[in-house]
Amino acid sequence: MLEQSIQELESSSLARIASARSLEELEVVRVSVLGRKEGALTHMMKELGKLPPEERKSTGKLVNAAKQKLEEALAAREKQFADDTLRARLDTEWIDLTLPAPGPRRGHLHPITQIQQELEDLFVSLGFAVLDGPEAETEYHNFDALNIPATHPARDAQDTFWLEGSNLLLRTHTSPVQVRGMEKLGPPLRIVAPGRVFRNESVDASHEHTFYQIEGMMVDRDVSVAHLLYFMKVMLAGVFQREVSVRLRPGYFPFVEPGFELDIQCLLCGGSGCPVCKQSGWVEQLGCGLVHPNVLRMSGIDPEEWSGFAFGLGLTRLVMMRYGIDDIRHLQGGDLRFLEQF
Amino acid sequence: MKFSYNWIRELVDGLDCAPGALEKLITMKTAECEGIEVSGALLDRACAALVESVEPIPGGHNVKTVVDAGRYGRKTVVCGAPNCRAGIITAYVPIGKKTIQGVESDGMLASAAELDISRDHTGILELDLQIGAPLPGCFPDSVIEIDNKSITHRPDLWGHLGMAREVAALQGRSLKDPVHVGMLPEGPAPIKIEVENLSLCPRYSALVFENVTVKPSPLWLQTRLTAIGLNPINNVVDMTNYIMAELAQPMHAFDANLLRGGTIYVRPARPGERLRALNEEEYTLDPSNLVIADAGGAIALGGVIGGLDSAISGKTTRVVLESANFLASSVRRTSAVLKLRTDASMRFEKAQDPHNTVRGLARAIELLSELSPGIRLVGGVADRKRELPAAPVIPLPLDFVARKLGREVGRIEVRSILERMGFGVAEADAGIFAVTVPSWRATKDVTIKDDLVEEVGRMVGYDSITPQAPLVPSAAPPRNPERRFQHEVRDLFADLGFTEVYNYSFLSEDAVRAFGSDPAEHIRVTNPIASDQALLRTSLLPGVWKNINENLKHREAFRIFEIGLEIHKRGNSLPEEIPHLLAAIYERQGDGAAGLFEIKRAAECLMPGAQLCPAEARAFEHPARAADVLWKGEKAGRLFELHPSLVETGRAAILDVNLQLAQRLAVGEKKYTPIRRYPSSAFDLSVVAGLRDQAGSLESAIRSFAGPLLESIHFLRQYSGPPLPEGSKSVSFRLTVGSPERTLSSDEVAQVRNQIIEGMRGRGYELRV
Ligand SMILES: [Zn+2]
Repeated sequence: MLEQSIQELESSSLARIASARSLEELEVVRVSVLGRKEGALTHMMKELGKLPPEERKSTGKLVNAAKQKLEEALAAREKQFADDTLRARLDTEWIDLTLPAPGPRRGHLHPITQIQQELEDLFVSLGFAVLDGPEAETEYHNFDALNIPATHPARDAQDTFWLEGSNLLLRTHTSPVQVRGMEKLGPPLRIVAPGRVFRNESVDASHEHTFYQIEGMMVDRDVSVAHLLYFMKVMLAGVFQREVSVRLRPGYFPFVEPGFELDIQCLLCGGSGCPVCKQSGWVEQLGCGLVHPNVLRMSGIDPEEWSGFAFGLGLTRLVMMRYGIDDIRHLQGGDLRFLEQF
Repeated sequence: MKFSYNWIRELVDGLDCAPGALEKLITMKTAECEGIEVSGALLDRACAALVESVEPIPGGHNVKTVVDAGRYGRKTVVCGAPNCRAGIITAYVPIGKKTIQGVESDGMLASAAELDISRDHTGILELDLQIGAPLPGCFPDSVIEIDNKSITHRPDLWGHLGMAREVAALQGRSLKDPVHVGMLPEGPAPIKIEVENLSLCPRYSALVFENVTVKPSPLWLQTRLTAIGLNPINNVVDMTNYIMAELAQPMHAFDANLLRGGTIYVRPARPGERLRALNEEEYTLDPSNLVIADAGGAIALGGVIGGLDSAISGKTTRVVLESANFLASSVRRTSAVLKLRTDASMRFEKAQDPHNTVRGLARAIELLSELSPGIRLVGGVADRKRELPAAPVIPLPLDFVARKLGREVGRIEVRSILERMGFGVAEADAGIFAVTVPSWRATKDVTIKDDLVEEVGRMVGYDSITPQAPLVPSAAPPRNPERRFQHEVRDLFADLGFTEVYNYSFLSEDAVRAFGSDPAEHIRVTNPIASDQALLRTSLLPGVWKNINENLKHREAFRIFEIGLEIHKRGNSLPEEIPHLLAAIYERQGDGAAGLFEIKRAAECLMPGAQLCPAEARAFEHPARAADVLWKGEKAGRLFELHPSLVETGRAAILDVNLQLAQRLAVGEKKYTPIRRYPSSAFDLSVVAGLRDQAGSLESAIRSFAGPLLESIHFLRQYSGPPLPEGSKSVSFRLTVGSPERTLSSDEVAQVRNQIIEGMRGRGYELRV
């Protein structure tokens, strides 16, 4: 008799739980079944004591089982309501993520900075030290120590900005850093020196009085043209991110002997000829050579014991080639519409 | 320097290399070619033609002519030349038909300029030739232009013979020397030469000619000079230019009748001595200039230019022909000081071969006998010289060649290369050549064994050398912390939204003054590109200021920075170069406060813990918004708003940091301290202060009263308004106190708080807890 009512109560309560539409309705069900005072099941539990001992145990089990089942069902339904509420609340927090983020965008490093850092990293990985030297140089370091005495016609090729005072100038190339490097470090050494250089030239789309170079030098025992070629190929492969074919032609720079102009095979046409390489298949890239014994000697290095190579590469020109910049004046124009492209 | 292909071909026996191929060969082995151009393209079609009739064409100055053009037949040609008249023989070129002013013109009558014979375009040529004859000795030529820079070290390549010698060696052909020294006359010289200083003029040779007829040069000579860019003048002058272009030996012809006395002096100019030069300029000289003089004074500037008063003219009948050698550095100095670069000075400053002077004279005898028939030599060669140096001999170990080039070159090959180039080779010791340098390479060019390595290297071809990695120890290179720091600063500022600009190192006096500096304290460029770019920057601000005013035309707001060197005058020693960062935040809208705090945040990212110490504003700074940036007790920079009158519209916050100092201060040992195990306590304090009292000063006052238990203090907020009295504000801080050894009791915390309250009261500040 009681067993039957327990089962009936259980199934009717489960149905009420399932159909409850809110936490409040669910609470009504809970109170009416499990409430401490009026709960139907609570009432039944209280009635257990009136049963004979042999029935009490088995019926007690039934009641407890029903209670546990109903409590679980209530809890499950409650959680369902809570989840629904949370979901509904979070849904109101919708945000348009396509809106722009506030605050400034990342700034841009100058293209010359970028290419210079690339080359510095490359050379450091090859064991070269990166050196700096002054922009306002002595005539000695810029010319004399590089085997260009005052009477040397090669001085005419480098239109020099002279400074007031005694024998000072704005360096016309980064080569004086070679001299300072040799004086400071002594042999053996591997150095590069990137930096700003100055030539007294009037400015137009392809000429600047202020531009950037990177100068490199290696001094060791028995450094040869073959070694120079090797490093130039490694460097240029790093710069252009691909194998490049190079060729050396005679070139005259007083601080090297022999001196070379180094051409690379035109990367645009692969050597078959195009307007960029003026149909020659080759593009002039840099000047280099074996360090002149006079230069070594002037920096206190014995040329009978040591030899070296040196090269100089125009960073400004490299940047213009890489990005197809048609007007050199942009680089020092400070126009954000230009600078933000890099 | 321009080279005529025809000329080179005359000097190289059997040269069969086409001009394009020759240009490529020279580029790869000798010197840089800048291009190749055809000169006188029409010459192979031009012929002499008789103008038979001329009839005017109404409405213009053109005439209709009928010419007899030999093998081309009788042609009707429209011609506009003023000298076109019946009966003259001129040059006809069949260039096709076209209708001019209704007349069909078949071909053209040519001026010397149109045929590249000379620059004369005033009228058509008037020739003394048979009808139909080609222009004798005039052919189309290919002119190869060599980059002067690439032959700075090669005095011999400033003449065609030098280049021909090079080509002959490259092609394995023999050189045809056009000079026959046997033509030099024996006997006493008719003039005296006195050289005051033989080191300035190591050799002065001269010849005297009489019965000279000065007239235009024959067409072949004019054509050749024109092809290489020289202007034909008359037969005597053209002859000197021809020899200069052929032998690299500049020469000068004086009208002997105009010379005073029988002696030519080579001496330093007297102070203030004047010379009217061939270019019709008058020069005032000083003793650093070497002059050629007669008894009456200077007649030429040695190695640079001749004088006008003794120049060859139509009246000249006797000529003194100078062929001399001058010290390169002296010529260079004079030419630089007088800003007078001539074909002669360009050659002499490369150090010419003193053996060449008499070769030039020998060549002149031969040429003048053709150019001025009936000319006669007077006496022998006047030749004053110092002892010519013996040919230098350089020991060349064969293994040295291999070590330098990075490839072996056989002894036979080395010998053959050097001999082809005119060097003498003897094998003194085993494996060592004794190499004798020929006089034309011995003045400056080839002096050491490394120079010989270059000769061998370029002849075997650098493409025959295989790139090879050197066998050297692998070692981490020494670091460059200054540069590394600058790169970090660059990355930081880019991350914070700043874009990098580069500005010039030059400033104008106005810009310097606008930023409160004295132009006299700047290093001055003696030869600036323009007068407003004469000073070296001692601040990056003027450049960035310009960037701000230019970019604000296109942008509402932006951030830029520059890292560069300030160059400061330091007495007579090397200037001091200090790397600086100059960053700017520009905002068109707003009162500028946001930009200032943003740039302060950037400063703190760069220099953690840096403090701003408000300072007296300079004229270009906002008078109430300027502060020094103190970091670790040193003044590392300056932060301010640019004076609003310096910005077209909007506000610009500026940060200027001495990166040399910042880099030094940034270096610091990092040390670990254990994380505190005992909880700390926090409480808030509000200080009532005057409106312009600085939060920073209040904070450091509180800090000083808090004592050692203070862990941290943070600004919370500030407030002004009721119920606070007018003119005051309340500044709130959160303080955290604690101890590494124990948990503080509430009494201890209260004691710290009371200490602060008492202390601040002592300074006249009321605290609201
Ligand atoms: Zn190409």
